[in-house]
Amino acid sequence: MKKRGNTKFFDIIMIIIAILWLIPVFWMVDTAFKPTPEIFTRPPKWIPESFTLEHIRGVINNWPFGRWLLNSVVVSGFSTLISLFLSIFAAYSFARIQWKGRDFLFVVLLASMLIPWQINGVPLYFLMNNLNLLNKLIAVILPISAMPIGVFLLRQFFIGIPTELEDSARIDGCNRLDILFRIIIPVSAPALSALGIYMFIFSWNEYFWSLIALQRINKFTLPIGLNTLQGAYDIEYGLLMAAAFLASIPVMIVFLILRRQIIKGMSWSGVTK
Amino acid sequence: MKQRARDQWSGILFALPFVIVWSVFTLWPVISGFIISLHNWDPLRGSEYIGFENYKYLFTSERFWNAFFNTFEFALIMIPLTLIFGLLFAFFLYFSKSKAKGFVEGALFFPYLLNVSIISLVWKWLFDPDFGLINESLKMIGISNAPQFLNHPVWVIPAIAFASAWWLMGYRMTIFRAALESQPVEIVEAAIIDGANKWQIMFKILFPLIRPQFLFAMVLTIISGFNVLGQVMIMTEGGPGRSSEVLALYLYREAFSYFRMGRAAAIGFILFVIIFIFTLIAMRYMGNENKG
Repeated sequence: MKKRGNTKFFDIIMIIIAILWLIPVFWMVDTAFKPTPEIFTRPPKWIPESFTLEHIRGVINNWPFGRWLLNSVVVSGFSTLISLFLSIFAAYSFARIQWKGRDFLFVVLLASMLIPWQINGVPLYFLMNNLNLLNKLIAVILPISAMPIGVFLLRQFFIGIPTELEDSARIDGCNRLDILFRIIIPVSAPALSALGIYMFIFSWNEYFWSLIALQRINKFTLPIGLNTLQGAYDIEYGLLMAAAFLASIPVMIVFLILRRQIIKGMSWSGVTK
Repeated sequence: MKQRARDQWSGILFALPFVIVWSVFTLWPVISGFIISLHNWDPLRGSEYIGFENYKYLFTSERFWNAFFNTFEFALIMIPLTLIFGLLFAFFLYFSKSKAKGFVEGALFFPYLLNVSIISLVWKWLFDPDFGLINESLKMIGISNAPQFLNHPVWVIPAIAFASAWWLMGYRMTIFRAALESQPVEIVEAAIIDGANKWQIMFKILFPLIRPQFLFAMVLTIISGFNVLGQVMIMTEGGPGRSSEVLALYLYREAFSYFRMGRAAAIGFILFVIIFIFTLIAMRYMGNENKG
């Protein structure tokens, strides 16, 4: 009896913490729809007395917000697809094919996961400049598309698939490509979707390299665009929060619909050993 | 024999597309970054080999050490906050039978999905000294002389670190939670029968079992802690004065405000070495104990 009371108490504390945790998000939405005088009244009002779209309109009319959103979708979509494609082949090779140099290369790949983006920023800038790719979205997409974590995670999953499946397919005359496409990929759907979610979120939020590679306003992704707005409006919090709110709408919608899958997909990356 | 040769070729062929893209956009930049760091790199006058002069300069520069210690301060606050909160919340969700579990998990995870610009703008607004929610709330509970967090040289880094922990914690929590769920329930049941309390179950039984995942989350957090840039850039631009200028921001400014690429590349390498050392320490203490 006593134990149950105790657990209830913890539940209530956790619910309170969860609500407190969301206050910054609530406050962003709240500010975005408050008329300016209400934003700066003290003590703060939790529910706006009158509701306004002026800040939202201000952002949409003065900034290429739709363009930024589209750029973000293009960058994240392509880098997710390309990285899945590249990682599937590489992971299969590292997991299932014996070849000289394989294990050494794999260790090098793993070690490179520790390299901070900041080291690569300067040389990558020169490289992209020479290739004439600066200010093109592909300059952001390519470096994100070959992240060793993708190979690492898929390899772990592929290793766990029973070899008997593969052997019997071989006897039936399947070559490596057939095996990959007919057996490995179909049974790896959960791992592939988890990696896809991980990659999408990673590239959706990528900041440092995009900041260097993209300098024209029409080429910005959402994070970089917001950074510019902050320079332009400084403390006009209505406009800034409206912009932040607009930039988080896609995430909010997707999260409300796919909450289970997203959390599961993200946690998978840590659990695979 | 034939099969072997064929394997050698198909193995290389399958790995090749990834390895090419990775070599061009990760490996090569790292190597050339190191080479650039040995030069006085000037895009207009051409570059000149100067050996380790850039490093020597940095190690005797006050600005560098300031950024160095700011980065450390940030990391030393943010990393434990993120991991400890993540672990505690994961344990709670593991033990809880409440119907609100899904809501709690969703609420704690959600901030992780917002990009660094969004969370930085929102926290800048929350920390606003005149109209921000945080100082207002403190006033309401009777603390009217609270510091103006982002404008205060002592409080600015802890404030940004706190906001970052709020942002990053959720992902770590889901990693720990999934790791806990994948442990056999019999272990916990047996411990309960033996009379272990929750605290003992958590730290003596379950925590050792999820060490690999804890290590993974720790390495992840070390990397993002020492690399911090966006939050600082947007919330304070390194201010007040230079009291929140971190290494990554100093690097960015050397490279793209002053165009001293050699020095910037050297900062990048120092960052790499720091992250590498801390990762080794983490692995040493958290890694597989069977080896030792």
